[in-house]
Amino acid sequence: MKRLLTIAAAVGVAMSVGTVADAADRTVKIAGFGAMSGVVRSFGINTEAVLRAAAKAINDAGGVKLADGSMAPIEVSFDDDRCNAEEGISVVRRLASGDAVVGVGPTCSNVAEPLFGILQAKAGDEGDSGLQFPIFTDTAIKGGLAKISEWAFRNVPNESQMYKSLFEWLATQHPDAKSVYGGVEEDFAHSRFTWYKVMKTRSADAGYEVKGESKWLLNDTNFTTQVREMKRAGADIISISAHPFTTCGVLKEMARQRVKYKVLVGLTSSSSLETLNGCAKQAEGIIIPTSFAPVNPDAVAAADAAAALGGSADLHSAAAWEIMMILKDVIEAAGIQATADSVQADRRAIRDGLASLKTTKGLLGEIQRTAEGEAVKPYVYVHAADGSWAVLHDPNA
Amino acid sequence: MDFYFGMAQLIGVHTLLGLSAYVVLLTGQVSMAQAGFFAIGAYLAGMLTVLAGWHIIPAMLLAAVASALVATVVGFPALRVKGLMLVVATLAFGEAVRIFWFNFDYQIAKGNIQVGPLGGEGFKQIRYFPENGWSTADVALFIWAWVIAAMVALWWMDRSRVGSVLRAVGEDELAAQSVGINLTAVKVSAMGIGGFIAGLGGAIYAHYTTHIEHLNFGVVLATFAIAYPILGGLSSVIGVLIAVIFIQGFLVEVLRFMGDWRNLLFGALIVLAMNVRPDGLFDARAMRTLRRLFGTRDA
Repeated sequence: MKRLLTIAAAVGVAMSVGTVADAADRTVKIAGFGAMSGVVRSFGINTEAVLRAAAKAINDAGGVKLADGSMAPIEVSFDDDRCNAEEGISVVRRLASGDAVVGVGPTCSNVAEPLFGILQAKAGDEGDSGLQFPIFTDTAIKGGLAKISEWAFRNVPNESQMYKSLFEWLATQHPDAKSVYGGVEEDFAHSRFTWYKVMKTRSADAGYEVKGESKWLLNDTNFTTQVREMKRAGADIISISAHPFTTCGVLKEMARQRVKYKVLVGLTSSSSLETLNGCAKQAEGIIIPTSFAPVNPDAVAAADAAAALGGSADLHSAAAWEIMMILKDVIEAAGIQATADSVQADRRAIRDGLASLKTTKGLLGEIQRTAEGEAVKPYVYVHAADGSWAVLHDPNA
Repeated sequence: MDFYFGMAQLIGVHTLLGLSAYVVLLTGQVSMAQAGFFAIGAYLAGMLTVLAGWHIIPAMLLAAVASALVATVVGFPALRVKGLMLVVATLAFGEAVRIFWFNFDYQIAKGNIQVGPLGGEGFKQIRYFPENGWSTADVALFIWAWVIAAMVALWWMDRSRVGSVLRAVGEDELAAQSVGINLTAVKVSAMGIGGFIAGLGGAIYAHYTTHIEHLNFGVVLATFAIAYPILGGLSSVIGVLIAVIFIQGFLVEVLRFMGDWRNLLFGALIVLAMNVRPDGLFDARAMRTLRRLFGTRDA
């Protein structure tokens, strides 16, 4: 009998150790993906650094609470989609076949658009065989993409609102400026959308005369003709809707041709280190609305944590930090299991949790969530001053 | 498993693209226009299923026929030149097609959203497969039915008099002409067949990605199209398939973890493969081995 009790006790201890080990072994897998190669690789590199920094901050604080009350660490992976639609689809299909409970990405709008298209359009629609995998986007910023699928969410700034506010503010600050001329990276979905649907219309709404636009392509390296058109237009405000690579090319050409203007406005995505690395001198004074600047202790801490892992926090990558914190709250509120058998149920719980959010905490303040899975984020206007980005105006202050 | 079916879909689409270039290459012509025919098939089939509500099969067939017609029309003037001049001419055509779609807007209201091609912003919501409840496996099987049909048709053609004529033109135009072969008819026919297959591939591609835009159909895609049969070898249609699996399955997917180094290795491995197997990964010797294994006679 004594031996039997000893064996039973040993088995009991072994089982409890096993149970503890199971809980300790459980991890919440979050899969990042974006451009890690090609001309926009810096965006993916920054996002990965920020995701890992945020996961480290959460894990250092104990991890994420699961449904049974145990704590589990977050494990982050990151895949390269090369800013290519086919590769983005392949990456997400692989992630959806694995045990990641949510995806964070992609970098490019031309990947996000097809990617959201292969997701189930309406959650729970049995007639729709699209993938049932929640994706929370930090960077792809082209307007209105999350409405493609109820499994898609974005934490990207609302450019329409930002530029509306910016042009209205400029009208008060520069009453002598009467006209706007645009420059647009014509073959890049985000740049094109932002000029034609946002900057152009919002500047006209603010009372400016839009004198036209110069067009170039993402891979262009010569902007002589476009800048000559710009100079000929003689507008008071030059508004450039292009990414850092061609923005710098155009700014250098503008300096060479001595283009005169009163105000220079840039694209949200250009309020990054790449622009300053590429053309700090020529970009001096450019004004850009952005949803991230290290203006408070939380934002400074996030930027420092990203820098420690070799990344730079900007309006895109800082969104990944916010996403990780939002996901932590959603996962804890939804009570996921994080077991091999519960992957699909966990994904659904996270999706439902994200869909039910009305507001979330952001690095610059409270973020509003829309019914279509989009974010309305607080923002500030920054300008390039002495080789760095400085806050010019805080509309919320 | 879903991932593997997804990969099978992608490999199937690229195999059709490679087969379209294979037919033209048999006649000794290097066509960089296949991406253009692929784009025509993609946009037309997408418009037919999304805007006109057609079933996918007639939409694909009509798109492929339209691509074939365009290829035939393009073939007449383009094939009057050869060698590098033909490469430039077909490349220019492919870019012209891409720019056409870049500037093409045609949208209609569907519910509360606008659908249809919108120039540089692309053509979204081509969701025939998920909207009709097709699983990833269903789509993979559907695509491979077309791929196998195209491969069998080309295999049969290759073993028939038609194939001999195509190869004769490819080997030595002067000799072929001297035995009464109409070079223009042969080359234009090959271009038309290639256009049809590229159109089919494009039609499937549009529904695979659910969103297409002009940038999908640029020089890189045209280069891939021609790289598949060159890397795989012109001995058999199997070569194209092997090259697609090598590039899309191994170089793109397996080496994804290498980041930017993947692009460098990508080129190096292709150069290495071409040096080790100058007649393609699946050359005549591999073909003979395969025939011995299956006990079939040489044609």
